[in-house]
Amino acid sequence: MTAVAAAIEGGVLPGRLWFYANYHCNLVCTYCLTESGPRVERRELGEERMLSLAREAADLGFTALGVTGGEPFLLPYLPELLPRLAAILPLVCLTNGTVLTERRLERLRPLAELPAALQISLDRPEPDANDAMRGPENFRKVVDAIPRLVERGVRVRVATTVSSIDDQERERLCALHRRLGVPDSDHVIRPIVHRGRAVDHGLGVDAGPSDLPAELTITTDGAFWSPFGPTVHGGQLDTDLLVTRTTTPLSVPASALLRIARDRPQGADAQLHIR
Amino acid sequence: MTGVRLVEAAQAPLLARRYYAGGDPGPITAALANVPELLEVAMPFLATVLGATAVDARTKELVILRTSAVLGCRYCVQTHTTAARDTGLSRAEVAALRGEAPVTAAFPSPRERAVVAWAEAVAAGPGPVADAPRAALREHFGDHEVVELTLLAGATLMLNRFCTALELPTPPDVVARLVEEGWA
Repeated sequence: MTAVAAAIEGGVLPGRLWFYANYHCNLVCTYCLTESGPRVERRELGEERMLSLAREAADLGFTALGVTGGEPFLLPYLPELLPRLAAILPLVCLTNGTVLTERRLERLRPLAELPAALQISLDRPEPDANDAMRGPENFRKVVDAIPRLVERGVRVRVATTVSSIDDQERERLCALHRRLGVPDSDHVIRPIVHRGRAVDHGLGVDAGPSDLPAELTITTDGAFWSPFGPTVHGGQLDTDLLVTRTTTPLSVPASALLRIARDRPQGADAQLHIR
Repeated sequence: MTGVRLVEAAQAPLLARRYYAGGDPGPITAALANVPELLEVAMPFLATVLGATAVDARTKELVILRTSAVLGCRYCVQTHTTAARDTGLSRAEVAALRGEAPVTAAFPSPRERAVVAWAEAVAAGPGPVADAPRAALREHFGDHEVVELTLLAGATLMLNRFCTALELPTPPDVVARLVEEGWA
């Protein structure tokens, strides 16, 4: 058993390895950690690199993969890449759900047979409130895409990112995702993190290494502590949660992360649900 | 203008944070912090090679300052002008090491002249060091000291090129002291 596998089994490290597939996005959300948008530098990790790292991750003892961005589905190769990744390790891919055309949905059918899920952002139960944070037509596109994925047998998780939500609104939101075919067990509500564009809008909670799970996250800029690490503010990459610039072999950042995690003080990640 | 971003404390990567615990760690550390996995091996290495070892601090400053002057490293010459003075070198000795006066006049000791000549020979490369400076050094130093002085010269060469190529700014407190003491 590798040191990473032992650490995962012992609860020192979470089992998931994250990839920042890209940084560009069709949306410009007010709380975006990475200041993503249509005109930002793409900074793609690359198809072959993700596959290679996924194989290394499996060898090292990681137990799951995550793909995020930017909007990963802006990458033309993504629908075919996801099943290949999910064949290596169980996979979750985060998406805003707004570019899932009928053709792309068909290309995603193989995911139904694999340990894979798409996690789609849906913040509010009504269009106006949701779209104020995430952009025009976001709500309509998401509630259109989710059932079409569910019909195809693809597991969908719904992620709600909010500063606060009252009981009534949360109940309306849960009723909505249930109607769309997503069970409560696949709905997560989490706080906005005060990084990236959220800083400019005065949103979110502060979160440091003691508050964030030590989920190794690979980007084109290096390896980071948690997918909340490689944030961008003012057009400049934040390095406060950088682990190493080296990403290959994966054992280099994994070992460094493990060293840091072992010295990590007790944090609030469980309470904040920043996962 | 600095050639790379100098990482400020708020952006210090996880493996670099301990180097910021005492405040501004200086431009070399702040530049290396861009690559934390290199920082965390480079700094202990540099601290050991340049710090207190079997070779006394005064002798080591002869190597560092002379090598830096031969390489024309503004950053290292300025910072080690003050470091050499703190180690006890006289103003005339420091001026000679900086290339502003003859070394022979400032250093009557054959032992120290041999050290300076060795530093100059190592810095001058490429190719082997000539027999004369090698023989002079061996008259005064054993194997372990030769190894250490040579590694020190090599580490200084690395820093010279790093600081010069990246145009690292001399720390303001050093600049202020150089002005105050009439070096700048």
